[in-house]
Amino acid sequence: MLDHEPSSQELVSDFINEHVLNHSPNGHTWNLPFLHVSALDWLRYDWVMLGVAIVVTVALAALAARRHRPTPTGISNAFEAFVVFVRDSIAIANLGEEEGQRMTSYFCSLFLFILTLNILGLVPFCSSATGNVGVTCAMALMFLILAVGMAIVRRGVLGFLSSFVPHGAPLVLMPILVPIEVISLLIRAIALMVRLFANMLAGHIVILAMLGLVVMFGYLTFLPVIAVAVALVLFEVFVAIFQAYIFTLLSAIFIGLMLNTEH
Amino acid sequence: MNPIELSHIPFAAIGAGLSAIGAGIGIGLLWAFGLQSMARQPELLPKIQVSMFIGAALVEGVALFALVICFLQR
Repeated sequence: MLDHEPSSQELVSDFINEHVLNHSPNGHTWNLPFLHVSALDWLRYDWVMLGVAIVVTVALAALAARRHRPTPTGISNAFEAFVVFVRDSIAIANLGEEEGQRMTSYFCSLFLFILTLNILGLVPFCSSATGNVGVTCAMALMFLILAVGMAIVRRGVLGFLSSFVPHGAPLVLMPILVPIEVISLLIRAIALMVRLFANMLAGHIVILAMLGLVVMFGYLTFLPVIAVAVALVLFEVFVAIFQAYIFTLLSAIFIGLMLNTEH
Repeated sequence: MNPIELSHIPFAAIGAGLSAIGAGIGIGLLWAFGLQSMARQPELLPKIQVSMFIGAALVEGVALFALVICFLQR
């Protein structure tokens, strides 16, 4: 491809681009580590990671439900603490008593799904499917459909449309305020999508750029670069858990805002 | 200046750095006021902490919008 000896900067940027492309639709196909089974050549990284996340989430819930004793122990105990946390601080706090009770299973599965996808990005031979903007776009679309659907079911179509009209504002300003309210709903969904995607992608790129400094500046920069890269990976673990929590919490808050009958 | 001479300046990286200034100021102000209010009323600590984290995520979301646009330029 290049017609001259590639400079170290080009090597590093090619390396980063190649790793980033794993997240995109034209990315590499996935195959078993250290083997190559040609029957698996049609698999892509995102699909494999999504399948693994689905299997892990369902298996975790099934395992916790099966060993159910009157006083839960072990994995049932931990899972129950997690579900109680999601129900009390995310679902019921934002959606009210009965809606919160019904929607808590959705928020639990969303949290575990995004958490698994984020953490898989830090495991060797895997990538994070949430670093692909299509995956996060699908999740934001799910949130949008839920918000609009629940608002229509609870308040009727006219009630849903009237939620875009702020109460007590003069009629002259309506042509300005109503489009702003509609756009703010769409921007919330887009912000959810971009926040998760950019956090995951930027974390990976920063780690790879740090490692690229060794290529650019020689082997003596090895020790400090490796120390900083390890610290960044530990920070990425925190960011993975936190971004999953923020996605769930913000989608609960925004659905609660759409269901409000105060307007 | 001849436009062709400007091609070596990394405008994408400059844009990303400028957006980080906004994120830094926003999160710094947020935590400053949050810590102050936590010191005044220690009994509200869990609620204030949760609100601070939500605010930090929103501010970082804005900074990451700018970062994504910088990715698109490269």
